[in-house]
Amino acid sequence: MKPLPRWVRAAKQDFGLRAIAALGLLLYLVFIVVPVLMSLRSSFTDENPLQSQSNYIGFANYSEMLHDSELKASLTFTLLLAFGVTVAANAVGLAFATLLNRTQLSYRVLRTVAFLPQVISGVIVGFIWKTIFIEDGLLNNVLMHLGIVGQPVDWLGDPSLAQLSVGIVVAWVLSGFTTVVYLAALQNIPPELYDASSIDGANSRQQFRMITWRMVAPATTISVTISLITVLKLYDIITVLTSGGPAFSTESTAQYIVKVAFTSDQFGYASAIAMALLLLSAVIALSVTNLLRRREVSL
Amino acid sequence: MFRRSAVTAVAASVLLLAGCASSTSSGGSAASHTLTYLTFDTPDLTPAFWQKSIDAAQATVPGLTIKQVVSPNTDRDTYAKQLEASGQFPDLLESITPSQYTAAGLLQPYDQSWVNANFLLPLGNAIKGKVYIPPTNSQIIPLVFYNKAEFAKAGVQPPKTWAEFLAVCAKLKAAGETPIELGGNDPFAAAMPLTGAISADVLGKDPQWIQQRYAGTVKFTDPDVVAAAQKMRTLVTNGDFEQGALNVSYADSITQFNDGKAAMYPMGSWYLGSIPKSQWNNIGVFPWPTDDGSVVIPFSVGGSMAISSKTPDLAGATAFAESWSLNPANLQALIQGDGAFPMIKGKTLADFDVTVSPTFTNSYAYVTDTNNKVSSIGWATNDDALPGSLNNDFYAAAQALFNTSDVKGQMATLDQDWATATQ
Repeated sequence: MKPLPRWVRAAKQDFGLRAIAALGLLLYLVFIVVPVLMSLRSSFTDENPLQSQSNYIGFANYSEMLHDSELKASLTFTLLLAFGVTVAANAVGLAFATLLNRTQLSYRVLRTVAFLPQVISGVIVGFIWKTIFIEDGLLNNVLMHLGIVGQPVDWLGDPSLAQLSVGIVVAWVLSGFTTVVYLAALQNIPPELYDASSIDGANSRQQFRMITWRMVAPATTISVTISLITVLKLYDIITVLTSGGPAFSTESTAQYIVKVAFTSDQFGYASAIAMALLLLSAVIALSVTNLLRRREVSL
Repeated sequence: MFRRSAVTAVAASVLLLAGCASSTSSGGSAASHTLTYLTFDTPDLTPAFWQKSIDAAQATVPGLTIKQVVSPNTDRDTYAKQLEASGQFPDLLESITPSQYTAAGLLQPYDQSWVNANFLLPLGNAIKGKVYIPPTNSQIIPLVFYNKAEFAKAGVQPPKTWAEFLAVCAKLKAAGETPIELGGNDPFAAAMPLTGAISADVLGKDPQWIQQRYAGTVKFTDPDVVAAAQKMRTLVTNGDFEQGALNVSYADSITQFNDGKAAMYPMGSWYLGSIPKSQWNNIGVFPWPTDDGSVVIPFSVGGSMAISSKTPDLAGATAFAESWSLNPANLQALIQGDGAFPMIKGKTLADFDVTVSPTFTNSYAYVTDTNNKVSSIGWATNDDALPGSLNNDFYAAAQALFNTSDVKGQMATLDQDWATATQ
């Protein structure tokens, strides 16, 4: 009997893997690529969710974005939030990871606890923190009980404080993720490096700067990039926590897109903003990744 | 020209999930005589209420099966649009804002003779003379509720004029009481004083103001509107609202007012359903005060369900909707829990088998009395409904007045938003 050609045998051998890869690719195409392409096409039209017909209007939606003050405000807030939260979440994550980088059972339990914020649904997170921040909430009661403030603080009522409050909550959520990423990186650092540096007389601060900081560089790249992308498309937590208020001061760009699409019925314009946000996210993510990769090499 | 393609990435995930969840609903309507009905849950309109009310109306239409589609939150308009965008527009839609759909021809008007025969204000929520939602009930938005004990303690009476209102606030503060509860963390609640002031002062004098705004002959920056909006700012600068008013949720504002932590509460008449029995004789009500003391009632006629013009069984859908709308048992829950004022012809409160507070009865008198009823700005569902997302913009302007003294600037922003919404 003639043996099967090599490529057929190889294909049969890898059939399972190829099937899984094909399924993944199919899902990616259906849920990511196709909607993005449809959105791109929609962004050049005056599509309205309630109308069956739409017209090609060229770049009109894109030029409208230049004069949209509410979009500008939401984008500014989103970018500031992304920057602030990314820095805070990574700093907290690295600090937690350093503290939890032990092998005892109690630390293993604490690691699970540290990851919890990332597991909880954004809607639940929003509700929990809303009960903490409101006028008669946990935070104001504690602060007043301790005598730190004389009157309740307007955590969600003052525009600046509301923005800060949103930042705290999102940083809290992301810190669960960053802690796990940094912890994995710390556990891969050979202990011999610390032993050798101790013999050379390095103190713990020097060990952190010369060994830990450098060895977690790849983890920093991943953690920073994913944190940025997560915040740039943030929707659920803000919707529950502040509804974008007061007076739209905490409205994210993702929220604004949904409002334009389904309240103002400007599907085409919402698609154009979505495409711009996608492009902006891609540029930021690629730039940051490149920058951090170069840093990894230099370290 | 493009045929409407479908969905943007904006809503892709939501719509795909929604599509998966209800793909069998209206698809089989024509053959199986099954119609979809969009509803929403609230503490008073519970799943059990909907099931019971649907069963009762369904029993009057032989061969019809109703499949309930529940909105994930009370914003049923946004959900209805998502369903429409994914080709799943329900056959029946409870308490939506018809003006958002009529331009696209998505709703079927009711037979006017049936509406005329059954409702007190047949054209109360009509759009260009056609009724898309049976006008079964109405609300006053806002009324000012007050705590009689707190008023007595401060030695004040319910005010009729704006000057009296400010004087009452001053006396309440002098007596160590918080004059006004707001719950401003929820934008619609924050906007109650602004809604009251503009409805009473501007629409009270010119009921056609919103139509004129559509025509472009008046603007939010006109002196009379700015003067009305300035009243909200005055209450802020006077410190008449509760401490951290924008940090208090609507739900908490109800609790705080019921607990006597503030003396007055400007809110929609739905608050009537939240007055605890222990406070029935202690909570009073008066209309939003005007400059000259004349009574102006900011009014909104609501109703039950709209019918999709695309429904495969228009006769069945209409029969179901009419049966549901005239069933007193369904209005009973709305009257008791939501403070809705019934607008069905030939029926008194007794016909709905409800037990209501004296404050409800006094408030209902503002509906049945002959007085100056005007559209409640930001709440009307008839021709006076605001365009696009302007309701949200209006509520946000009220929140902004807590942090800026530029009242005219906020009104100018509303004019810009109006231009965007109507372009």
